[in-house]
Amino acid sequence: MTTRWLRSLLPLAFAMAATAAVAVDEGDRAPDFQARSVAGDAEVALHSMRGKVVLVDFWASWCAPCKAAMPEFEKISKEFPAAQFAVIGVNVDTKIEDARRALEKRPVSYLNASDPTGKLPKRFGLETMPTTYLIDQTGVVRVVHKGFRNGDMDKLREQVKKLLDQKKKS
Amino acid sequence: MRSAKLLVLLGICAVASACAHVEPWERGLLARPDMAWEVDDLAASQENHTYFSKEAAMPGGGAGGGGCGCN
Repeated sequence: MTTRWLRSLLPLAFAMAATAAVAVDEGDRAPDFQARSVAGDAEVALHSMRGKVVLVDFWASWCAPCKAAMPEFEKISKEFPAAQFAVIGVNVDTKIEDARRALEKRPVSYLNASDPTGKLPKRFGLETMPTTYLIDQTGVVRVVHKGFRNGDMDKLREQVKKLLDQKKKS
Repeated sequence: MRSAKLLVLLGICAVASACAHVEPWERGLLARPDMAWEVDDLAASQENHTYFSKEAAMPGGGAGGGGCGCN
């Protein structure tokens, strides 16, 4: 009797479990994506960056630490050769105008993809905002950095250098 | 007996459907002005100040930040 009762709850349990996304972790292959840029004038594709170390940063206009990190990402994007390293921002604002306004206040030269539907953070299993993924030349996630505080950039910079040095040695 | 179980099951479904999980990338919705406890910022500030002065504690109406839960 109890078994039958529990069995009747199974579909509900499955439905609830199906909504939980699996977070991309260090050592996992980064989910490939292609999205329109925030400016609307370009396509941003992760697979086109293969062979480079790529820093993918998920941000939104309402997220203060995300915006604080942007000038730092702009700096690091210029510190390494463009043939070896790239920064991609992924904006998750539901209104693209909010993203554009934020970029007007904090202009950056690196590519920014727009994902108003939230498909990309779901595929990455984002757990906090901002989250930064450092992806190596083969498309494997090497660092998952959650949040942003002063001094975090130095750690990320070291990781980028390490990945670039590993490539040189091999 | 069966109808009671069905009622409980329907109750669970109803309660579960009322709970929405807000994903980290959706928290901008919580930061919208129309989601605030108090729509009038000035009135909220005055009320909070009075509460803090009288109770020596901050009210639980909200906290600083953009809604991302990361500050």
